[in-house]
Amino acid sequence: MSSAGQEGVPGFSVDVDHNPYLPEGSGTVDAIVSITVGSDAAVDVVPTERVEAIIVDCSTSMLKPAGKFDGAKRATLTAIDELSDGTYFIVVAGTADAAAIYPPDGTPTRASASTRKEAARAVDGLIPYGGTAMGTWLAYVRDVVERFPGTSASRMTHAILLTDGKDEHETPEQLQQEIALSVGKFTCDCRGVGTAWRVDELRSISSALMGTVDIVADADDLAEDFAAMMRTSMSKSIPDLTLRVWTPAGATVEFVKQVAPTVEDLTNRRVEVSGQIGEYPLGSWGAEDRDYHVQVAVEPAAAGKEKLAARMTVVAGDQVLGQGLVNALWTAEVALSARINRRVAHYTGQAELADAVQQGLAARRDGDVATATAKLQRAMELAVESGNDDKVAELGKVIDVDERTGTARLKREVAAADEMALDARSTKTARVRKENPA
Amino acid sequence: MTGAPGTCSACAAPVGASDRFCEGCGGPLFEVPQPIFERVAIPRPVPLEGACADCGNDAFSDGYCTGCGHRRAAPDRDEAQLGVMALVTDRGLVHSRNEDAAAAGMVTGVPGRPQAFAVVVCDGVSTSGEPQVASAAASKSGVEGMLAELADAGTTHAAVLAGLGAATTAARDAATGLDTQTAPSCTYTGAAVASKGQGAVEITVGNVGDSRAYWLPEPPGVPRQLTLDDSVAQELLTAGAEPESELVQRGAHTITRWLGADSDAQPWSDSSVQTLTVRGPGTLLLCSDGLWNYLPGAADIARFCSGVDPAAAARALTDFAVQAGGNDNITVAVIPIGATT
Repeated sequence: MSSAGQEGVPGFSVDVDHNPYLPEGSGTVDAIVSITVGSDAAVDVVPTERVEAIIVDCSTSMLKPAGKFDGAKRATLTAIDELSDGTYFIVVAGTADAAAIYPPDGTPTRASASTRKEAARAVDGLIPYGGTAMGTWLAYVRDVVERFPGTSASRMTHAILLTDGKDEHETPEQLQQEIALSVGKFTCDCRGVGTAWRVDELRSISSALMGTVDIVADADDLAEDFAAMMRTSMSKSIPDLTLRVWTPAGATVEFVKQVAPTVEDLTNRRVEVSGQIGEYPLGSWGAEDRDYHVQVAVEPAAAGKEKLAARMTVVAGDQVLGQGLVNALWTAEVALSARINRRVAHYTGQAELADAVQQGLAARRDGDVATATAKLQRAMELAVESGNDDKVAELGKVIDVDERTGTARLKREVAAADEMALDARSTKTARVRKENPA
Repeated sequence: MTGAPGTCSACAAPVGASDRFCEGCGGPLFEVPQPIFERVAIPRPVPLEGACADCGNDAFSDGYCTGCGHRRAAPDRDEAQLGVMALVTDRGLVHSRNEDAAAAGMVTGVPGRPQAFAVVVCDGVSTSGEPQVASAAASKSGVEGMLAELADAGTTHAAVLAGLGAATTAARDAATGLDTQTAPSCTYTGAAVASKGQGAVEITVGNVGDSRAYWLPEPPGVPRQLTLDDSVAQELLTAGAEPESELVQRGAHTITRWLGADSDAQPWSDSSVQTLTVRGPGTLLLCSDGLWNYLPGAADIARFCSGVDPAAAARALTDFAVQAGGNDNITVAVIPIGATT
């Protein structure tokens, strides 16, 4: 069953896709909630100043191999070129400390022909020195945000963080603490160049700060990637969307996960509004659509009864943009209640796929061949079943599965870049569309 | 009918104080007795106000309680009485909503006919979309069609035909705006009852589908089913099949006639309409298959009606079907014949 959103503003929609039928005695309701912001969405956004921070790893390791640091510099300039005129920006050098490259006083300036030229000169003159302390880099950006005039509602700050190595000059706890302090202050896309950095470190930053993470194995490819990231950032027009979930008395939200374009568990980001209402931040949005998998446990009712299991309201500031209703209908007809919604099944599989990839690779690193083989084989099955071709190709670089016998074997020789790409992209999902697009 | 003193209310021509008819237009100048119509129909629409039946909270949003989340739904049971007639309909235990409907009407004040009744039971076909729309429309329109004919001093036979015609149109129109592939459809069992004087009562029943009408005279009269189901099972029985045979059992609920956008232009045949003249006391009973599934014989149903108040009998029968499993919606209409008609 698919129910169209209601009361929404034009160009915006919230759609709920689920099987509302439950057998007697059961109270678990699963739904896929799709949120779409059209290019013409009538969202009353407060006039917003955009602030872009580009953090370039300037540790000594960036000197090797030759061309890596040049690639990073070129990528930075390409990203600056993509800035819309008038966008505030700052370029930060990341080492064991953090320092402004441009503007030198550490206060973001508006993008224009002349500031772009000045920035290019400053970036050109950079020489790598020192170490890597990403928590300190995040703290620097946070300080820039906090010094910036206006309120958090009137600015939209986005950072690009580039590194080539592990976090070294601070403890993991310090990094986690800085990440936690930065949540909600700015969003951050993370890129690792080469293969000497750690996927889990960058993922912990990008996941908490609602950005993306990826590997750019070859520094020559950085410029194109930075340009794309900056274009995406420039296309964001809504600083913050919030999913407000109402549930009936006695119900529990088991989880709220973004499932497309990537898997991101939002369950623990719930902000209690009242006993029956919790809010989940969805980050900044442009014209795009994302899918969420919501599971609610409600008190079962008698056959024939209908209950609202959840009301999904999407708000931007004080403006309600749309809502979707997740109902539950109890029935004695097993044929109705046994049906699993196609998209719920698909995204359940995609979330399991992401977990299987991450757990399999972790086991492989730990030398636990049995677990690694089992997890990665399961991942391959899920990827094939769901038609996630990118994932099938990426998995094929770390595990061989005999198509006829189903026997799986870890590859002996695996390129570090391939393993890291699989890990970094593990949360990317294949999408399954609504059966009847409204 | 009276206009300004000294003028005809119809054509305004001057008239004399003792004139009985207008010299201008020929119309009557006295008060013409008007038939009085009374009607009831169940189930009534879902109430739009009042506290949540499940938790007592009184705030609703989008039709759902803001406390416990339950949908504001029609009560499981609805009842109505009109004159001596009693109607009960119940969701049962299995179906999520009640797709049955019942309606009754009474017309009094017709010259030469002190009282006449019309009653209809419809059962929505659950394989169609929104069948409750068809059953509600068909039952009300059927009663309306019968009352109009009865008020016009027509026979009960003519009334039943008028009711069938009106109900057929109403069920067809109920499909407007809905998916024609799953056009709402329903069964229809209607009865018109009129006194023939000297204790004789004429009953005509018309039937499409597998809801039923029974005549249940007080003992020693023999209770009997008045309608013949339009079902595969009945066709097999008519062709000589054994009632207990597997084919008959399997075809029990496959109906061969119904009202709706996808039904025949005239969904009934001549044999669908039966007239009988009875002398009370006894009970005319109409019901959906939600009842007769559990009480297949006329005598089984008659036991609940003998010597009992009609509303109590209708409730007892409905309770019986619910307790026996409530596998379908249950609707019962009880019309006592004899004591007051």
